[in-house]
Amino acid sequence: MEIVIASGKGGTGKTTLTSSLIYLLWDEKKLISVDADAEAPNLHLLLGINLTSVEEVFSSKIAEIDYRKCKRCNICVENCVFRAMAEGPVVKEHLCEGCGACKASCPFDAITLKEVPSGEILISEEGKYSPFISARTYPGRPNTGKIVFEEKRIARELLRKGMGDNILVDSAAGIGCQVIASLSGSDRAILVTEPTKASLEDLKRIHSVVEHFGIPSYLVINKSGMTSFDGIEKFSKENGLEKIGEIPYSTEVLKAISIGVPVVKSFPESEASREISRIAEIISDWLD
Amino acid sequence: MVKVSVTGGKGGTGKSLVAVNLAVELSALGSRTVLADLDVECPNDHLLLGVELEKKREVRIFKPEFDYSKCTKCGACQRSCEESAIFLVEGYPFLLPNLCSGCRTCLISCEASAISDGGKVVGHTYETEARDDLTLVTGKLIEGEEKAYPVVVGAKDRALSLTSDVLVVDTSPGSGNHVAFSIEGSDVAVVVTEPTPMGVHDLEITLDLLEVLDVQPIVVLNRSNIGNFRPDEKLKERGLRIFSEIPYSKRVLDSYVSGTPIVEFDKNDKFSVEISKIAEVIFNWK
Repeated sequence: MEIVIASGKGGTGKTTLTSSLIYLLWDEKKLISVDADAEAPNLHLLLGINLTSVEEVFSSKIAEIDYRKCKRCNICVENCVFRAMAEGPVVKEHLCEGCGACKASCPFDAITLKEVPSGEILISEEGKYSPFISARTYPGRPNTGKIVFEEKRIARELLRKGMGDNILVDSAAGIGCQVIASLSGSDRAILVTEPTKASLEDLKRIHSVVEHFGIPSYLVINKSGMTSFDGIEKFSKENGLEKIGEIPYSTEVLKAISIGVPVVKSFPESEASREISRIAEIISDWLD
Repeated sequence: MVKVSVTGGKGGTGKSLVAVNLAVELSALGSRTVLADLDVECPNDHLLLGVELEKKREVRIFKPEFDYSKCTKCGACQRSCEESAIFLVEGYPFLLPNLCSGCRTCLISCEASAISDGGKVVGHTYETEARDDLTLVTGKLIEGEEKAYPVVVGAKDRALSLTSDVLVVDTSPGSGNHVAFSIEGSDVAVVVTEPTPMGVHDLEITLDLLEVLDVQPIVVLNRSNIGNFRPDEKLKERGLRIFSEIPYSKRVLDSYVSGTPIVEFDKNDKFSVEISKIAEVIFNWK
């Protein structure tokens, strides 16, 4: 079983929930965990995992100009749809997608594509919460979705090797390439929301994406009681999106986040922790 | 023209809240302001401003269409495609649309003029008069589409074409090249973080990106009273400090829920006071 935690809007509590689920289920259900937010990876911080060994350096391509051949015609500038080529021409490396349109358009063969490191995948294979897979894209590098795709490939390989029985993926905010890579081929998605209009708007978008990919999804309302907004509840009823939990807004959760410990570990008796434990029981029944 | 980006790496630190309030405050000071919501995967600034999106326009990217009567089966399009979005069947090219980034490299590589632009709509931009002297430009990726970058480009272009005094850019979370494009060209970046290990971790990633982009940061510590894990030491190592601290307040939440920016909802709230402080820096930017 492979489960993805997603949300659309950032900061609704994906990592808070995921870290608690790993704390509660890792041992019993042999979880393989994936932090699929490669542009802002945080899950290891909440679990106290020291990610030191780099499993794999991920590379992407960047255009390189041979100025001995370049005649300054700037045809490459016109042909870059990503605006990564400035007049000169000069390659803006932090924007370059490595598509090669400049290379193909150069009449003087002055442009080549060079491989550069664009991110790294880190794995903790031993000790508590292992196997744990995280990744980090270097600032300004493209195609984070591809790194997430590679993280999931590694997770599935570990599963095949018997290193775990289930995969839990903490996705990035949004609905773009990282999130789609997170969802790709997964069995179920848990959508984490908060009672605000912005969260509802983004829930509609992520829900439409999971429906598009035919992945069954379930709702968790986090920070319940923070506002009196009931739009999330209405949406879930009108769209047959089953709610599996409602975590109360509480100072314990805030404290747990600020010290970087799963709330179910630091405040196990809090109402929030009890609700998260109930959610974990539901999810536990889905797992292999 | 002054250009300011509001960014932060981590999601949910309060980027949109700061961006919207800063834009409203700047327009109230008399600057003709454009706010660009470039969080195209989940744009929410219109909700915070309490307005409906208007003047919808399509964002189209290139999509190859093959004319098999002209194709010479040379395979150049397939070899040139870095995304491996083209595959050959008996020498003829076929497209895997989900992998295509719309870069046109196949079109440029084809010597037989057998490729034309079929076009594909990946998102929309909107232009909304949000207040006197404040125009909101929003980019919105279509659900199920992966490529946010072209929508960010479309929305930023539209915003820049309308800007006279101040451009406020609200970026998505993250630190990839779509965020780099959003921030690029800014005079200053307001970096919104929170006093948690995650906030500080992602603040550092954002500061690394700003260094690459050569954009000066102004660090805002939002919800400064919810935790003790502060970035002061890490900032000091970079010769930076926190410019503004905003404590969590019930009033901010009330304003958020009501769809009225806090600077209009309660001028005396600490959030509004801190926003005025930042707005003054931008207003007097040389």
